[in-house]
Amino acid sequence: MTSSAVDPQVLAAARRRTFLALFTALAVALHTLEYLLPAPAPWFRLGFANILTLAALFLYGPRAAWGVTLGRVLLGSLVVGTLFSPGFFLSLAGGTAATAVMTAAYRLGGRRIGPVGVSALGAVGHALGQLALAYLLLVRHPGLWQLLPAFLLFALGAGLANGFAASWLLDLLRGHPAFRGEQEE
Amino acid sequence: MSRSRLFALGLVILLSALALFGRRGEEPGEFRRARVLMGTVVEVTLLDGGANVDAEAAMAAAFSAMAEVEARMSAHRDDSETARLNAAAGPLEVSAATADLLALGLRVAAASGGAFDLTLGRLKTLWGFAGDAPRVPDDMAITAALQGIGPESLRLEGRRVTKREAVLHVDLGAIAKGYAVDRAIAALQAAGIRHASVNAGGDLRLLGDYGGRPWRIGIQHPRNPEAVLATLELADAAVVTSGDYERFFEIDGVRYHHILDPHDGRPADACQSVTVVAASAAEADALATAAFVLGPEAGRRLVEAWGGLALVVAADGTVSLSEALKERVRWP
Amino acid sequence: MKALWARTTGLDRLIVAVLLLGILASFFLLGARPQGERVLVERGGRLLFSAPLAENRVVDLEGPLGITRLEIRDGQVRILASPCPTKACIGMGAIACAGEMLACVPNELLVRIEGAGKGAAHDLLSR
Repeated sequence: MTSSAVDPQVLAAARRRTFLALFTALAVALHTLEYLLPAPAPWFRLGFANILTLAALFLYGPRAAWGVTLGRVLLGSLVVGTLFSPGFFLSLAGGTAATAVMTAAYRLGGRRIGPVGVSALGAVGHALGQLALAYLLLVRHPGLWQLLPAFLLFALGAGLANGFAASWLLDLLRGHPAFRGEQEE
Repeated sequence: MSRSRLFALGLVILLSALALFGRRGEEPGEFRRARVLMGTVVEVTLLDGGANVDAEAAMAAAFSAMAEVEARMSAHRDDSETARLNAAAGPLEVSAATADLLALGLRVAAASGGAFDLTLGRLKTLWGFAGDAPRVPDDMAITAALQGIGPESLRLEGRRVTKREAVLHVDLGAIAKGYAVDRAIAALQAAGIRHASVNAGGDLRLLGDYGGRPWRIGIQHPRNPEAVLATLELADAAVVTSGDYERFFEIDGVRYHHILDPHDGRPADACQSVTVVAASAAEADALATAAFVLGPEAGRRLVEAWGGLALVVAADGTVSLSEALKERVRWP
Repeated sequence: MKALWARTTGLDRLIVAVLLLGILASFFLLGARPQGERVLVERGGRLLFSAPLAENRVVDLEGPLGITRLEIRDGQVRILASPCPTKACIGMGAIACAGEMLACVPNELLVRIEGAGKGAAHDLLSR
């Protein structure tokens, strides 16, 4: 294919859209798979789909990350069948809090912070977001917060795993011919 | 390439294992609802049944069956059959359900030599257990309230009831709750449920077993509110316990409880609690009350002659039980 | 595969260390209280109040009719006062075991005891 005739900017835009769509699809897949795993408590999930949010964040920036997260929560709930159920709101709260924290950390940290650090912070945000929503909407019970330390530990573990996975994914992608010449934001 | 394929295979195996493992975390389905009826909390539990059973509908049917019994037989409602019977001077035509229940009550009354009585309405009102100002009535008032009671106090011809004396007041409290539980079980059966329990504040009946093993029914310890006296392993049976700790008041250090002995109009004092296992909750309810009044020996004989099983805690705390119950009891 | 350590930056490691310390601290501040039996009060299926059965207290619970007063004393729970017409809830007496319930229907309150392993011995209690 004589791609030399294609405007590199158009190509880059197309590549970005394609990959973000792929990321979202993969995030939905992970979101769905999570329902098969044992969970710390009913409706709470570990948030592995955040790996793709991380990848989007580091490759394409905060806006892309938000797109992947929100797309994943909406589509994922449709696929699993939990749209507008408590599980959906917990997902939304967790995903939103995680993404907010991650984009903030990315912006503030710049070159000094890597996917692992961002992910760790995001995972903590994810757990806090879910618990806060559960408290406000479901169970107005101070005893709920007793779960917090255990949740956070789980979340941190998942966050680290996500971070390493995202780091590996980013290496793979950046090394791929399709990304040669790609400029990071 | 083969390394990737191996990795992919490993991932698939891992995911399948997780999928299977994740599923197992779910509890064997117990579907419970509780509602306040008949002055107590009634809880219906359904176990994972067939897929073509509408659990919600069955649950609703069970509760409405019990509400219907309450409406018909509650002494507290002005429009119940009980209220009308109390007000009646001559014969009164009642519903088939009420007639059946009265017939059962009269049979237990006769079999127990009057230890169980359906016409203690005035006596109960006198003592005031149902309200917030219970008191010890004087002897004259008690004698007056006992007038006309006994196994012959009601004459039942088909669906027509005649009181021996017009002033008699019927109180179905010792049998109606059990009857309501029976109706609820019937409603569940009609809805296709095969494993369930209906527990009306301790008067309970079991449908089927607990998914492959018997239901484990704890018996409240009569003196220690936090302890269980024993656990019975049962299926398809009704269990009712009458105890002196359920409803009582204390004056000057003396405890007066709500199970009255029809012979002297005062709280029966031969037992601390009686647990009866029978085919239906209405029978178990009536028999438990009768046996409590009769005392450990006579009470157990009555229950066994009826075809039921009993566990009695005498006034001094000694426990005795029917032979056939011994293999089904687990002590703590 | 790059070593895991090499995938982290200095800041990453600092962040993780701080978070870990914070979480461990929160364990001591919030966490791991022994289970014990709890008294739960629900209205309309939502949890309104919860307390350990072992601690004596008197609590006022709000319902549409007003305040229902609940007493937890010596391992038993009873309703002391309630604005309902028949006071059936007070007449229900006291409960002490896991699985037992009290309720004031007009004031929409359901009180129950949830237990630590007590339920394991029996499925239902006859009393």
